[in-house]
Amino acid sequence: MDEIKLIDEKGIRLDGRKSDEVREIKMEIGVIKRATGSAYIEWGKNKVLAAAYGPRDIHPKHLKDPTRAVLRCKYSMAPFSVDDRKRPGPDRRSSEISKVITEALSSVVLLEQYPDTGIDVFIEILQADAGTRCVGLTAASLALADAGIPMKDLVAACAGGKVNGKLVVDLMKDEDNFGECDLPMAIVPRKKEVVLLQMDGILSRDEFNELYEMVMNGALKVYELQKEVLMKKYQ
Amino acid sequence: MTNTLNIKNRDLVLPGQLIGEKIRSDLECIREGASVFSPIQGLVKLNKREIGVIPLAGIYKPRREDVVIGVITKVLRDRWLVEINSPYSGSMSGEEATRNQSRVDLTDYFRIGDVISAKIARVDEVYSSTLILPWKLTDGQIIEVNPKRVPRIIGKKRSMINMIKEKTRCGIVVGQNGRIWIKGGQDNLVVEAIRKIEREAYTTGLTDRIGEMLDKCIQDTQKTKIKIE
Repeated sequence: MDEIKLIDEKGIRLDGRKSDEVREIKMEIGVIKRATGSAYIEWGKNKVLAAAYGPRDIHPKHLKDPTRAVLRCKYSMAPFSVDDRKRPGPDRRSSEISKVITEALSSVVLLEQYPDTGIDVFIEILQADAGTRCVGLTAASLALADAGIPMKDLVAACAGGKVNGKLVVDLMKDEDNFGECDLPMAIVPRKKEVVLLQMDGILSRDEFNELYEMVMNGALKVYELQKEVLMKKYQ
Repeated sequence: MTNTLNIKNRDLVLPGQLIGEKIRSDLECIREGASVFSPIQGLVKLNKREIGVIPLAGIYKPRREDVVIGVITKVLRDRWLVEINSPYSGSMSGEEATRNQSRVDLTDYFRIGDVISAKIARVDEVYSSTLILPWKLTDGQIIEVNPKRVPRIIGKKRSMINMIKEKTRCGIVVGQNGRIWIKGGQDNLVVEAIRKIEREAYTTGLTDRIGEMLDKCIQDTQKTKIKIE
């Protein structure tokens, strides 16, 4: 089978980006009035809404923890978010993403400050175009910051991958579908710690190290945008 | 020991932003070795003694000595449970209303759904609070505001709230939990003023502006009254 050409000789990708370039990102916070905090991100063709509620009473009650708050994130895709209709409701994929996002955010939120409560974050994918878990996590961390929930730092996320044998940052849909590898990563920018790292596909060790640096730089660019949008609300 | 500060007073900081090194900070700030970081988005508060961050958003956490406005949610044999606009509920002993609580039915004093203002006497380690000095709020209206704006609505030494009370001739009880009870006088004007304070909480010279706004509105209403007469 002929290989689908996703990058030309000059290293320009299908949508005109260079290999280390992140798609255009637009962020907004405080979009949902009833939520404690909320955020909306347009990242390339991705459109993601995140809302944080709480700290509030937690149900079911047996989840209550008298030493810390319980953080619950729920990732879900709208039926119209993809080409074919996505059957609504939780499935294997969204349960997994909810879990990894919850774990990523739990490591930065200061849960000990709100014992016996629950913090709920809902991430809704309105339009998907690869890398939605990164967009969702970035939006969720903005929503938590907007809600005034104490955190060690924001969380910024970005994906990377290997397409036609070349390493690129922030895959779009075709690159994700026909590429060789996908590597989403979320970081705590201040310390450059990794809070989420998944890999789908194959990379050599050297390739991984190189891609790690590229994705780290991509995520730091996302972090700058996050800071900008938070500052803008009170100026 | 040299102290380094990265910010000025009333600067806007973000979660995880470095405030300074080798400085005294309040308990809310994150300390890692000598460095101090902000845990929330807020305005830096510099005192002579220590540094802190004034939050801009968030929920109410009960604190001792606070006056709060709550709703009775449950009547037990010897006490009431009170919802205080917080994940943590308050409880009030029957002794606050009667001396022989064992013999009387507590619903004689406060029933489910009654709104009271009360003071927080104690808060324990999981933020359960004990309320004292209940005062039943029967008429008037209650509005909800962002609990973190309440200090601004009250003002320094109660300057803002006293001015509003004086100018509009309203009875006002401001609960630290973000509920405000307003009764009588020009209550619509009070609501308008409070919403304005809430919107512009982080600007300076607010008390004067609110005063001007109230004066203007009061004059306008007086003019229209004369016209009608």
